[in-house]
Amino acid sequence: MFKLLLDKELREIVGTTKFAVTFGVCAVLILLAFYVGARNYDISRQDYEGAVVENLRQMEGLTDWGEIDHRIFLPPQPLAALVSGISNDIGRTVNMESRGELRAEDSRFNEDPIFAVFRFLDLEFIFTIVLSLFAILFGYDAINGEKERGTLALSFANSVPRDQYVLGKLVGSFLALVVPLMIPILIGGLMLPLLGVPMDTNSWARLAMVIVAGVLYFGVFLTLSVFISAMTQRSSSSFLMLLVVWIFIVLIIPRASVLISGQAVDVPSIDQIDYDKSKYSRQLFSERMNEMQHWIQENRDNDDHGQFMSAMQEFLGRQQDDFDAKMRVLTEKLNEQRDNKAGRQQNLALALARVSPTASFSLAAADLASTSLALRSSYMEAANSYQVAFAQFMQSKNADTQGYRFRKHGNDEVEEPEEIDLRELPEFTYRPPDASEAIGASLPDLGLLLLFNIVFFAGAFVAFLKYDVR
Amino acid sequence: MFKILVEKELKSILQSPKFVATFGVCSLLILLSVFIGIQEYHSSVDQYETATQLVDQSIAEATSFFGIENTVYRKPSPMQIFVSGVSFDVGRLSKIDSREDVKLERSSYMESPLFAVFRFVDFTFIVQVVLSLFAILFTFDAINGERESGTLKLALSNPIPRGQYLFSKFVGSWLGLTVPLMIPILIGVLLLMVLNVPMTGDDWAKLVSLIGVSILYFTFFIALSLLVSSLTRRSSVSFLVLLVVWIALVLIVPRGATMAAGQLVSVPTVAENESQKDRFRTDQQQLVQERRQEAWKNRFMALEGASREEKRAYYDANKDAWDQEDREVRTEMEVKITEFNRKMNEALRNAKSEQERLAFILSRFSPSSAYQLTAMNLGGTNTSIKKRYEDQMFAYRESFSGYLKTKQEDEREERRRQAEQSGSGRRLFMFLGSGGEPVDASDMPEFIEPRESLSAVLKPSMIDFGLLSIFTVFAFAGAFIAFIRYDVR
Repeated sequence: MFKLLLDKELREIVGTTKFAVTFGVCAVLILLAFYVGARNYDISRQDYEGAVVENLRQMEGLTDWGEIDHRIFLPPQPLAALVSGISNDIGRTVNMESRGELRAEDSRFNEDPIFAVFRFLDLEFIFTIVLSLFAILFGYDAINGEKERGTLALSFANSVPRDQYVLGKLVGSFLALVVPLMIPILIGGLMLPLLGVPMDTNSWARLAMVIVAGVLYFGVFLTLSVFISAMTQRSSSSFLMLLVVWIFIVLIIPRASVLISGQAVDVPSIDQIDYDKSKYSRQLFSERMNEMQHWIQENRDNDDHGQFMSAMQEFLGRQQDDFDAKMRVLTEKLNEQRDNKAGRQQNLALALARVSPTASFSLAAADLASTSLALRSSYMEAANSYQVAFAQFMQSKNADTQGYRFRKHGNDEVEEPEEIDLRELPEFTYRPPDASEAIGASLPDLGLLLLFNIVFFAGAFVAFLKYDVR
Repeated sequence: MFKILVEKELKSILQSPKFVATFGVCSLLILLSVFIGIQEYHSSVDQYETATQLVDQSIAEATSFFGIENTVYRKPSPMQIFVSGVSFDVGRLSKIDSREDVKLERSSYMESPLFAVFRFVDFTFIVQVVLSLFAILFTFDAINGERESGTLKLALSNPIPRGQYLFSKFVGSWLGLTVPLMIPILIGVLLLMVLNVPMTGDDWAKLVSLIGVSILYFTFFIALSLLVSSLTRRSSVSFLVLLVVWIALVLIVPRGATMAAGQLVSVPTVAENESQKDRFRTDQQQLVQERRQEAWKNRFMALEGASREEKRAYYDANKDAWDQEDREVRTEMEVKITEFNRKMNEALRNAKSEQERLAFILSRFSPSSAYQLTAMNLGGTNTSIKKRYEDQMFAYRESFSGYLKTKQEDEREERRRQAEQSGSGRRLFMFLGSGGEPVDASDMPEFIEPRESLSAVLKPSMIDFGLLSIFTVFAFAGAFIAFIRYDVR
């Protein structure tokens, strides 16, 4: 019997023009998203490679490592093409210095605001907006539509158990909608390597999990539609209700939660922190200058120029190290305070947002594509650990990007300077977290999506058992 | 008769539970967006004011003109409550420094990416996405729904011209949907006044135009639904068709156009641009080098076989003139290089604006993006915000660095005199701002925000306004023709 019901449901959905039209639209959209994503990735990769080459080229011919102006860049992530997350909003370029705080600049939307106008058409967008609507469109009259047409009463004239009937409905509509959608998704996925997106096993695993999350998300809306359909008598009212719910879940809850947490937790602005830092640094600087003048006053009687200079070098070096240490302590303290508050704000916002399955899906997808909020911190971490290597390297070259040029001059003779060999420069590579780690990070959200599925499924089941089929 | 039909249409819309529910949601959304927008605006004004105060303070505390760091911030505009546009994506500030280029950096979304995760819902977004759906939801069955319920045949059995019937449908649904929506919009406007948003006369004019364009956009979707409804026999079909059209117009065409323009117009990357500039510089330098060698060879050619003293005397006599010549050659080269760089930068900017122009032309096939573009233009949050601010900041940099230079000269002179008076031999660190009184920088030039005149804003909006009108008229004309030939049975 169950098979028969399933079969009927499948036929009923797949055979309609409604299905043909919407499926066609969705398929085109999905393929477009994959294509556009791959092209976009290609452009970002070219930009990135060009920037890296350019960075090395502009340092060519220099003779002093202290003169270099070294930058590192965030490489584009292959899956960012499909789930852009915040990858277009965060700074990509870091100006490398051997000391001091690093800062990433030049986000893509800041450089090319034209792309920020209409945003990108990525897979995540299509899932959250279009496919959720698609699910509603096919599920809203699952139960009450049959009642209106009178087929529900007819079906139950046979000896059909209600639970089997609703199970057949749910499973049937799920299969009828999800299986066809897998076709464009699979084609799109296969298109990626052909369009020049380097997909390794890691990326495939991530992509597969994104699709799993998408299917779960789709399932939430489908079960929700059947649930509401089983609670209402007329299909027009269930459609209306679903549309209202959709607007809330997709458009309002995620955004409102971020705004609420923004009001609830006050995070000090970066400007304030910058001001505090620069004030402290100016204070230290003037102390330093006084000390220096003091030192010069004391040592001015030293007639041996060479000895004077080397003593002064030593003094300045000590001063600089002291300054660096003090600044680092302050910067760390201020940043930590801000990070803590921002972390609290973020946790609150995301916790509230997760009331909506859309938020859960977006967050899971971004985690899987490594374009989530963690991208910024993991990039900065990589940049900071590179800075250590870079500083060591610069020290081995006896150079400093921040001046103190006269350190090098002793009483030795001036000789023809040699060009620096840029190949010696340590290379920066950014590795996104492993697929297993990303999947681990997305598990809570996937669990939530599953939970939504179960709850709505159970709701639909219970509501239908009590449904008046006449 | 016309009046009765309009009345009937109004009643059938306003009395349906469908209307109550959706109208409630839409009102809530509009009010929420305005309220949140005002809160956001206030907090960004706070941030802006703190930031500028901090800059002023740090300048006031500076003890030397050599240690002054100036930063200029972008001032939030009250219109961003309704149209956030790219205002959160474009950088908030630029350093003003004679050695660095002016560049807006550190956008709000970059600093707090949390807010970028689920973007901001502004009034424009609600009109563009939600209200257009709302319009479709109420008019998708305007004609074929009446046919399905048999009332169309009945109504047309009276002596009513079909044109009038259609027009009354249009007017009725327009009134029934637009007038109620004005209520939350007007309350939203009232909120602006209650919550102390400083709106200038220009801002009000822009806001009124924005509401006007929003209504026009909404009207287009009513006309479109009428068209599709009178082209199809069954309301379920027309709804489906409209949903597909809606997805295409609102979601796909705008984004697709940007992508297509990105593919069609190739913009050289910044890296390419830089390397071309560098290549030109190297070539020029080599050229100058060769010319100099040639010149020196010629200069000494005249002295073939002369004695050492004669050469020396000849050299001493001509040295200044030759140096002058060499300098001129070098200056000429610098001018050429600067000119070339300027040209390259301009070419890059032109290519970018060409890409943008194409993207916007293509995207205007969709009324949805025509609406969005004109809204952003009215709100002053379109992509040109970056250029506007950067140009103004560039001009400011000129005056600021001129001011700083004269002040620094004065200060250096002053310190030198002090040092001589105190008899200190080592002047190396004397002007670096060690200790002492804060300097007086009260006469420093101030940055003035770029202001767009109302007419400059409204003029480009006229194109989109006209475009939306044309779309609407075409849709209605199409509906008219289709309905004249409609089989009412």
